[in-house]
Amino acid sequence: MDIAVLDRSAVSGRSHLHDASPRTKLLAFALVLASIVVSSNLFIVVALALALLAVITAERLPARQMLPLAAYPAIFAAVFAIASAPDALAAALIIAKAVTAALGAVTLMFTTPYPQVFAVAQRVTPALVGDALLMTYRAIFILAEKFADLTRAVRLRAGISGTHPIRSAQATTRALGGLLLYSVDLAQREYDVLVLRGYSGRLKVAERPSRSPRTDQSLIAGSLAALAVAIVWRVYWASVINYSWIPLAAALLGLFAALLFRGRNR
Amino acid sequence: MSHIHIPDGVLPVWLWLSGWIVAVALVWLASALSARSDIRRKVPLVGIVSALVLVAMSSEIVPIAYHINLTVVAGVLLGPQLAIISAFVVQVVLALLGHGGVTVIGLNTLMTMTEMLLGWALFRGFVKLLGRGHVRAASAVTTVITLAITTTLLVGLVAVSGVTAATARETGALNPRNLTFASPFSKGVVGIGLFSGRQTATAPAVGLKRFATIVYTLGPIGWIIEALVTAAVLGYVARVRPSLVFEGPLAVAEPVLPGDEHGVH
Repeated sequence: MDIAVLDRSAVSGRSHLHDASPRTKLLAFALVLASIVVSSNLFIVVALALALLAVITAERLPARQMLPLAAYPAIFAAVFAIASAPDALAAALIIAKAVTAALGAVTLMFTTPYPQVFAVAQRVTPALVGDALLMTYRAIFILAEKFADLTRAVRLRAGISGTHPIRSAQATTRALGGLLLYSVDLAQREYDVLVLRGYSGRLKVAERPSRSPRTDQSLIAGSLAALAVAIVWRVYWASVINYSWIPLAAALLGLFAALLFRGRNR
Repeated sequence: MSHIHIPDGVLPVWLWLSGWIVAVALVWLASALSARSDIRRKVPLVGIVSALVLVAMSSEIVPIAYHINLTVVAGVLLGPQLAIISAFVVQVVLALLGHGGVTVIGLNTLMTMTEMLLGWALFRGFVKLLGRGHVRAASAVTTVITLAITTTLLVGLVAVSGVTAATARETGALNPRNLTFASPFSKGVVGIGLFSGRQTATAPAVGLKRFATIVYTLGPIGWIIEALVTAAVLGYVARVRPSLVFEGPLAVAEPVLPGDEHGVH
């Protein structure tokens, strides 16, 4: 998980989605999620995934980094699907739901800096949880980098090698132990610095307003449309089941259009 | 099994909603209790330990669909109150990174929380029983027992959700026409064919037994790996900085300024 790429895209990316208000993006994400929850039609869920891919393509987001992250839950969903689904289509539906929901979440995080996402969350969570969320996310970067440095140092001193798996495992767990001690000291230092800067039990993050109200409106309209389609195919499934291919074809067309548009503007 | 790897829209609404309600209530309770004590100074520690758990979870052992969790380590280091907060934070960040569903954050928090709390309690019990010289053994046994219990909880959760041969599983969508949770697999796109719409729906032969068999076959490999890593990490920390392991997060001594060893300015 290269979280630095995610953060770079969220902070320095330039797309319409980056300009939209974080609150709107969270609402749109919630609506997309509701569509996934409501839908029991594989075609509708796949159409939703393709629509999200079309948005990612049109907005020139770093798809190469986003797709592996979105595909990661598929491994675990596949185990659950294989273990419990009655047939292949049901299994495909479970995996499609996992990947589509992850794609929605990853799109949100690749276009919104994490303090902005948590600023919205902070309004509904206790102070302790809100602060812990911010500190956790920040600490992931520090620890991931430190752990990479530690394992590199151990490898350079021949502590990790393919021919000695037990010695390698011991060296890696010692590195983890070292990282843990480093983390505890870091936590203490961090608290001291926060107190010096006037921390009184609440980290306040101001919500950034929208830079493109039109994008906000489009996002809400698009995600509402997705939810409406999912509800129609859920409630009136007997009447519309024969037309399940329409949303899928529309999403595919959208994706091709986005690819074409992207290719021409290159 | 620190969290259920079941995507959004698979478990029934009542189940994941109950998970959310219980988890939020516990998080609020833990936060309220923390406000009374001086736990606030440990917020950075919660952040750091949660991040450590997340970093560990990001590396997956593909053949057995398992990743290291370090939840027992987190439970031992944080203690019960902070562990509850940490479990919630870990699951929120995981969901935002696309790993684990958003609707199942509540259930996942309860799973992780159980693992951390059990880990904390069992570790303390085993250390008392075996003595401080046997930290590695205590942590390994604690980890295996904890993971076995939470894996059983997972299987129980799937059983409660209706994954049995007798009852059709539903996706959690409420049918507004008759206010029932209808099974998509018995009459939706899966049950009646992709386009025909005329075939008769059949009850799926979903096997809880199959699910349990797979989980209990692959699980123990993961438990052993996790136990070895936890034993090594806690053993190392207990040797280098014992207060962290034996006395809990609030007992960690504040750094003393040179010349102020006796608190005299």
